[in-house]
This record gives sequence, C-alpha cells and structure tokens, in this order.
Amino acid sequence: MSVAAASRAAPRGSGLARLLNGPHDIGRTPGAWAVLAAGLASFLVYPHWATAFQATNVAYYLLNIPMALGLSLLWGYGGVLSFGQVAFFAVAGYVYGIVAGNLPDAPWGTWLGVVSGLGASAALAAVFGYFIFYARVAAWIVPILTLVLALLLSTFLGLTAGSMWTVGQVPLGGYNGMTGIPALQVGTLTFQDYAFYYLTVGVVVLCYIGLRAWVNAHRGQVLMAIREDTLRTELLGYDVRREQLRAFVLAATLAGVSGLLYVQWGNYITPSVTGLQQAALPVVWVAVGGRDSLLAVAICTFLLNQLSYVLSSAGNQYALVIIGALLVAVMMFAPEGIVVTLARRTWRRRR
Amino acid sequence: MPEAVSLLYQFGTNAAFLLLSALGLIVILGMMNIINLAHGEFMMLGAYAATASVQRGVPFPLAVLIAAVAVGLFGVVIERLIVRRFYGRELGALVVTWGISLILGQGALLLFGPFMPPIAIPGGAVALGDYSFSVYWLFLIVLCGVLLAALAFVYRATRFGLQARAAMQNARMARALGIRVDRIYMATFALGAALAGLSGALLAPTTSIAPFMGQQFVAPAFITVVVGGGASVIGGALGSSGLLSLVQTPVAFLFGTFSGTLALLLTALVVIRLLPGGVSSIGRYFTRRSLAAAR
Repeated sequence: MSVAAASRAAPRGSGLARLLNGPHDIGRTPGAWAVLAAGLASFLVYPHWATAFQATNVAYYLLNIPMALGLSLLWGYGGVLSFGQVAFFAVAGYVYGIVAGNLPDAPWGTWLGVVSGLGASAALAAVFGYFIFYARVAAWIVPILTLVLALLLSTFLGLTAGSMWTVGQVPLGGYNGMTGIPALQVGTLTFQDYAFYYLTVGVVVLCYIGLRAWVNAHRGQVLMAIREDTLRTELLGYDVRREQLRAFVLAATLAGVSGLLYVQWGNYITPSVTGLQQAALPVVWVAVGGRDSLLAVAICTFLLNQLSYVLSSAGNQYALVIIGALLVAVMMFAPEGIVVTLARRTWRRRR
Repeated sequence: MPEAVSLLYQFGTNAAFLLLSALGLIVILGMMNIINLAHGEFMMLGAYAATASVQRGVPFPLAVLIAAVAVGLFGVVIERLIVRRFYGRELGALVVTWGISLILGQGALLLFGPFMPPIAIPGGAVALGDYSFSVYWLFLIVLCGVLLAALAFVYRATRFGLQARAAMQNARMARALGIRVDRIYMATFALGAALAGLSGALLAPTTSIAPFMGQQFVAPAFITVVVGGGASVIGGALGSSGLLSLVQTPVAFLFGTFSGTLALLLTALVVIRLLPGGVSSIGRYFTRRSLAAAR
C-alpha cells in the first residue's frame, strides 16, 4: 500500500479507534471487525470445552505471534528484513530463566525476570542495530548479519555445558538447554494451564492492537515512507537511521515477548530455538501470510504453527521440505502472501 | 623461524577457508546484486558429489571437477526456474533462496541419510622444526591464488568478462548494445554455483560430510561477503579474507574456535560502520581520486 493511498483514505472517529481503523492493515469494514470480535470471543470461551492440555497447545500456536508481528513491522512496513529475530527470542528466554531461577522465593522474582529479559533483547538489538543502521548499509546486509548473530548465539549457548557455565544457581546447560524455568506468578496465582492460555491470548491481542495503532500513527507512517523512498523521507527532515533502529528494537522486544511466553509454556529452552532451522520460521510465517498486513501475519502464524506441530508430532520428516517449498511457492506465485491475496480477492468480489 | 612459518600457515589456512567458502557467493553478489542463501547447501552438494565419485573409484582431482560441473549445472536449473524471477528484488531473492536451502538440506538428509563416509585428506605432511604442515592445506592456499588469478583473467581479458562488467555497471545500456544480459546472469549464477561446488568438494576431506554441513559455512562465508562488499569481486574476496584471517588467527589461537568466529562478526560490524561498502569500496575510492586528479 502506498503512502499516497494512505493520505487519501480519510480516517474516521478519533483517538485509538481512528488509529485502529487506519488504512494500513486488512479488515477495516464493520463486517471484518465483527469477524475479528467473533474470533476473539471464540478464543476466550474455548477453554470451556478444552482440557488444560489442549488449551496449552493452542497457546503454543499463539505464542509466536508477537515475534511474527515484529518481523512484519520491520520487513513489511519498514522494508528492513531480519533473519535473526530468534536470537532476541532466545536472549529473553535465557535471561528470564537466569533471573527468575535465581529468585525462586521473591514474589516479584519472575516479574524482574520479565523486565530483564525484555531489556536484554532490546539492549542487544540497540547495540547491534546501531552498527548496522548508522552505517547505512545496503539492504541485503541486515538479514545476513542478523542471521549470523542468531547462529553464533546458538553455537555459544551450545558450548555452555558444565558447571563453569552456572549463573548464580542456574546452569545454562549447553545443548540440553535450561530446564525447570519457573512460571510467572502473581500472589498465589501461577500462570500455568488455563491461566497461561489466557495470559497468551491477552498478550497477543495487546501486541496486535498496539502495533495496528502504531503503524497507522505518525511513527508508523514515517517507517513506511522510508520503505517507499528513503532519500525523500530523509530530505523531509526525518532521521532515517534512528527510525529504522527504533523499529528494529521494537521488533526485537516483541521477539522477546514470544521468548518469554515460550519459556512459560515448556519451562525449558534450548540453543536450537535460535538455530538455522528455527531462524527460517518467522520469515516463513510472515512471507506466507502477507508481510504488509499484521492481521494476515497473525492468522498465518497461528495456522502454520499448528501445521508444523502436527507434522513434527506425527514424526513427519518432510516438515522442513514442506515449509521450504511453501516459502518458495509463495515467493514465486503469491508474493503478497496467501492470506492477503485471499482477503483482497474476496473483498473485490463482494464489490 | 618455525614459529613464524607456523603462524603464517595458520593465517593462510584461515584465509583460504574463508575465501573458498565465500568465493561463489561474492561472484554472484558482485555481478547480480543477489545473495544466494542456498550457498552453504550448494557447497554441501559439491561435497556429496565428490564423495560419491570417490567411492566409485574416481581419482580425487577428477571428482572435484565433476562436483564443480554438477553443481554448476544444478545452479543453471535453479536460476532458470526460480532465481531469474527475482532480479532487482534483493530481499525477495534472499528469502526464496533460503526456502531452497531448507529443501536441499532436509532433502539430502532424506535421500542420502545422515552420514557419508569421509574422504581421506590427500597428500601427507611436511615437517619444519617441531611443526608439521598439511600438504593439502598448502595446496589449497596456492589454489586460492590460482582461482583468483583465473577469475581476474576471465573478467579482464575475455569477451564474457567484458560483457559481464558492462551488464554489472549498467544493465539497460548493455542490453541496448546487444549484450544478452539474461545469458550473462545465467552464466554468472552457474559460475557462482560451480565455485560453491568446487569449494565444497575441496573442503570435503577436511570436515565431516553431512546433510546440514552447509550450515558451518554460513557464518564465515557471509561475514566475508559483508566485509568484502560487492564493488569488486577480486579485491573484495582477497581483502576481506585477508583482513578477517588477520583478526581470526590470533583470537582463535588464544581463546578457541568460537571466539575466533565471534571476532569475525565483531570485525564485520566495525568494518561496515567505517566502510559501509566493504573493503572493496576502498579501491573504488582510490580509483575515483586518481580519475579526478587526471582531470
């Protein structure tokens, strides 16, 4: 969607509602909002018919959505591709595990873990992004270097076996990873089973609403302007480097949110979460859904996570081949993404 | 004296490894502004082709050539079917070649199983003082120089090289002059793939051969490309592998292999911060100055 189209579409209402109904996502008609509300309602009532195990599984399909949304913001809206979102996912997970695991008795220990996990992801992204964006490198360098970052992090975490790699009382665990990570707690409530499910749904909805407002707000529009014409945006007085760095840090923090939810889900984390195969997955979710639509990315992330879970739990060795072929096919035949293409086609037919 | 030679040997092997890992990638990037993320898997295919040939009794040097030709042909197929649709869309090309790499890695696992028997390192070792040096690695270091010289010859002295450089500088103008830019791109991609296959086959005896072996080349190869930049293929490859090896050799010697690779990444960050176009842009800078001085 071009910047020109954005300025033509006059936003209605005011405040958050106006931002949410801005032009930079699919699903702006009243009908679409009704479908969205119905979808959310069904997620909210789902646990009534589901066992705790099923609800936890559904939460697992959902928990990668913040990371995917962050990549959608960066790549689809900002034109900056990152292959290393999983690195920030892993950093948040590991740091949470270290902090929360060292404060098992403090009531606020897990929350300090959340803050430091997200802070570590954002700090790593800020330092790494400073070198990349303030150098104004060519577009292909960002994905390459972020991929190398993720791979090196995975290699490093794999080397952390043995007692010398124990932080406080938490061993990092090398290839076997970190186990027994405590779940979030508020008073006597521990976020497991149904509580974890509702936490995940809530976090995902908040991330989506927040980002949808963000891309329709001024900052988001500047980001899209940089994607469309970097030089012109710069001549209009915006610091392109700072805006890109800001989006990069935001996307990394969102990847950290997914990492935190992941360690809540399984109470463990291994170096493979930031390995080459995992690093490919966020790109697949975003590309297949449609990178310049947050909603399409969210839907696609949910469905593809379900697909890979089903494939891998059935012991299917073709999972990676299928995912790779899906990526190639989408890039060749539906470069806008499957969900976006379908949505736009349906919308046109109704007109 | 032997210590100095040993250090030089370490430096040479590291630089040769970086250069071999990255050469095919740099050729494709420099000419077509496309990053082939399936590069590591192309190297894996080269290693597999060489191993399969050696197992059937083919002498190793011939097996290496077979691997290069086979992967080059495979590169043509990939270019015609997929990559040519992504010229001018660098991010799209990155993503689609990543999809190809996933298919190739897992596909090799399914087709050929998790292990291939290793190839013995040809040649023995020569001793100097208390140190011994692998003849094969010495040969690889020399071969790197030969490969670069051959590439320089192709680009500077052949008709293909002239047309390729024309297509690289201004594709539309080259087309208007009757150069079949499409063919040039195809040939360049095939050349890059063949170099990847060649490197994979050459490095096969020095490593374990497995479906996901391509992954170990990803970090060094891509860092070399980033540091080298796309402005000049030969200068970028040589300058980048030399500089990186200069950093990596002492760090890896003192703190271990992983620290060596980490030092590569940190060097890359510093280099792009100072020279966003990579070390090959230094050459361009001096050329421009001498041109300006001539005027």
